Amino acid sequence: MDLVIFGVVWIILSVLAEWGFNHIRANTMYYLISNEGTIAHHAFNFLTTVLTPIFLFVIWYLIFAAIRFHAKSPDAKPSPRQSTKNGLFTTVWITGAIVVNVLFWLHPTAADMEQIFASQLPSKNRHDLIVDVTARQWEWIFSYPQYHLTQTVNAAGQDELVIPVHRKVEFRLRSYDPFHTYDIEAGVIHSFWIPAFGLKEDVIPGETRYEYIVATHTASYYTNPEVRVQCAEVCGPGHPWMEAPLKIVTARQFKAWIRHQQLLEHVVST
Amino acid sequence: MAHQVLASPSMKVRVMPPMLRGFLWAGIAFLLTNSLVASIRPDVGHPFVNEVSITIGWVAALTGWLLGVGAYEGVVLPLFGVTPRIGQATDWRRYFAFATDHKVVGIQYLASSAAAFILAGSIAMAMRIELASPTIYFFHYSDQYLAAVGVHGTIMMFAVATVALVGGMGNYMVPLMIGAKNTVFPRLSGLGHWLIPAGVLTVAMSPLLGYWTTGWRGYEPLGSQDPSGIIFYYLGVAAMALSSTIVSLNMVTTIVFNRAPGLTWPRLPMYVWGVLTVSILNLIWLPEIQMTFILELLDRLVPLNLFNAAGQPLAELELFWLFGHPEVYIIVVPGFALWNEIIPVMAQKSLFGRSWAVIGLIFVMMLSGMVWAHHMFTNMRNSEILPFAFFTEMISIPTGFGYMAAIGTLWQSRYRLTTPGLLVLMSMFNFLLGGISGVYLADPPVNLQVHDTMFIVAHFHYTIIGGMIFTWIAATYYWLPKISGRLYSEFWGKFLSIWIFIAFNTAFSTMFLVGLEGMNRWVPAYPPYLHPLNLVISLAAWALGTGFVLHAVHIVWAWRKGPPAPDNPWNGRTLEWLTSSPPPPNNFAEVPIIDESFYVYGDAVKPAARNWDRLKPS
Repeated sequence: MDLVIFGVVWIILSVLAEWGFNHIRANTMYYLISNEGTIAHHAFNFLTTVLTPIFLFVIWYLIFAAIRFHAKSPDAKPSPRQSTKNGLFTTVWITGAIVVNVLFWLHPTAADMEQIFASQLPSKNRHDLIVDVTARQWEWIFSYPQYHLTQTVNAAGQDELVIPVHRKVEFRLRSYDPFHTYDIEAGVIHSFWIPAFGLKEDVIPGETRYEYIVATHTASYYTNPEVRVQCAEVCGPGHPWMEAPLKIVTARQFKAWIRHQQLLEHVVST
Repeated sequence: MAHQVLASPSMKVRVMPPMLRGFLWAGIAFLLTNSLVASIRPDVGHPFVNEVSITIGWVAALTGWLLGVGAYEGVVLPLFGVTPRIGQATDWRRYFAFATDHKVVGIQYLASSAAAFILAGSIAMAMRIELASPTIYFFHYSDQYLAAVGVHGTIMMFAVATVALVGGMGNYMVPLMIGAKNTVFPRLSGLGHWLIPAGVLTVAMSPLLGYWTTGWRGYEPLGSQDPSGIIFYYLGVAAMALSSTIVSLNMVTTIVFNRAPGLTWPRLPMYVWGVLTVSILNLIWLPEIQMTFILELLDRLVPLNLFNAAGQPLAELELFWLFGHPEVYIIVVPGFALWNEIIPVMAQKSLFGRSWAVIGLIFVMMLSGMVWAHHMFTNMRNSEILPFAFFTEMISIPTGFGYMAAIGTLWQSRYRLTTPGLLVLMSMFNFLLGGISGVYLADPPVNLQVHDTMFIVAHFHYTIIGGMIFTWIAATYYWLPKISGRLYSEFWGKFLSIWIFIAFNTAFSTMFLVGLEGMNRWVPAYPPYLHPLNLVISLAAWALGTGFVLHAVHIVWAWRKGPPAPDNPWNGRTLEWLTSSPPPPNNFAEVPIIDESFYVYGDAVKPAARNWDRLKPS
């Protein structure tokens, strides 16, 4: 009888929870607009779908036990039922745990890593946009070597990152301080993170790292604050303010912006 | 102040209170050593108190503190064959001096841990005041906030989470539960406790030397460019980690050699299994982190350029997490064990799947050293991620065995929902959320988004507060009648437990959301769109802090003024319940002889010890 009540309520709860989850699944990680962000979002939703009944099984059991099995009086009387083993329950539990964990390792983990490996390989005849990203305490500096731009800024003079939508971008990440008076190698660990892209990569002094990403929507920091470059690894007192606005624009807008930056840096003249 | 005198008990001698003498000797030792180092240091123009002198002066001060607090009479004089002029106190004063009784040492550890918890908890309250607003307004500078984060994390990890259930409850309960009269290394163990207050004070005073900004992980090369305060972080951790190493050495040896006749390995109580596995983890990994911090200290003082761009910055991260992940299992493994210690007693029902629960503890211990690099997915080649993601996902299997045993035991039981019984269920609930969020973190694509965000902060607070602190409170209520001989108030115990349960879940479930929405860690200021949720977290965090303090008040009240408790109020079967409450100095009137399991209940079961009726002191 206990088994039936517990099982039926568990199934009802699981169905309701999956139904509710289905309504919010588009926004479970808030706002992700990149190829790798999409992978993370799908993985998150897959894990939630499988974990919901498992999670509810334990939670509902704890509540059920507290209601159904609690002693009416505080006297120490032995429980009426005494058992130390149940082969079926133990087998199902342990087999289930192994199956679910192997499943998670195969999918989403290994399957998604395969996609990420592929996305991080340089493609042949590529026309990837290269952005040199320099992390210093405490500033992000963006250079576009293909366009001979050394430091792009917006109208307020802040460092600004602008990238075109639907085009692979190769970020080259380095940590050093080009403006240091005598020791430009005096860098610390930073982490290059764009919340809206769903991916971060630590930037280590003495190493050059690469990150490839394709943005899937146009967006701007000024309409969604998740569209920003944010340092995610503590790097000293300036860490919270080590951020830069980001814009993802169309190819035409990007061309115009590059032209404007080239004028500012006197790469070209009017 | 009069103490018991060994040479001639009738003669009263007046000596300083040991802790005061410890402070005095520490101060004198520091002043002398610091002056000596400052006077012989060759480079001109360094300040009187400099990084080298303070390091060596600190070692001298620690030695002075340990001697002054009682090691001089308790360890040094006997070593040279001299009978000390004063012995150990037998009244309340014994809690404030070097002691060799494992029960006194256990209470000392519990009190130090509780004090450290309140101290580091109030720092967390200050952090939540700051984060109630998107701009910096409570702290004056960003580095003050970051130093607060570092001090909070370091003290919570090394003086509370690693200590309370091993050095505290372990020292007190393990010898009782295995029928031993004392531990194998009582003097070493008595010395070990006094490293905890020294370490906590060292870390708490570190901002006096400059606000360090690395947090409890001490990442390089940031640590090497931080102000000198970080030196007190390295030294304080060295002291506290040494204390836990001593506890673990003592616990493992005691469990191996001091078990009562008939207490075979298959009969070992669950909690003793927990302390044994966690102690082995401590013995493997604590020396590793101490060596790492000594390297970092030398890297700074000499300097050696080990961990900056000229050396290898990643090496420090790798060495830190090599210890850092076993550390989180060091924290929760005694908690897992305690669930299955308390549930059968409260249910008066035989423990289900006991050998699986033990296998779970052992496999968690073994796997915990193979998952550490999942803290560094943002630093690894893609191909290196896969095996660590694999082991990380697999460790949830043995973790689940503890749940399986608890669920099987609860099924159709007659569960007494007392305060410890309720807190155990709450702890299982909380740890489940911590564990489930860990499944997301084990998946690399999701990890690369939520790594270094408040999602992680929520996740590990769910495992540590939810798993360990809730269980610590449960264990305190469970064993309070044994330790103090008094009962607590069921109403206030349950009321306050529901209070902290609601406050805890409100604060930290909301923290998952701010992390997913793009709030990074280690920030006293954040973009304004994150403000509303942070305000919710701050309010709930304050409610949680208040709840913890009220629990402490209630426990202290019960300890001193609660109604007298019977010797075995829960009808438990483990050996500690067969002696008087509180237990006498040598625990049992005679050595227990075990010939029954501790975890079998029913109408016809006999007490676990054959001579159960002769164990109490007459």
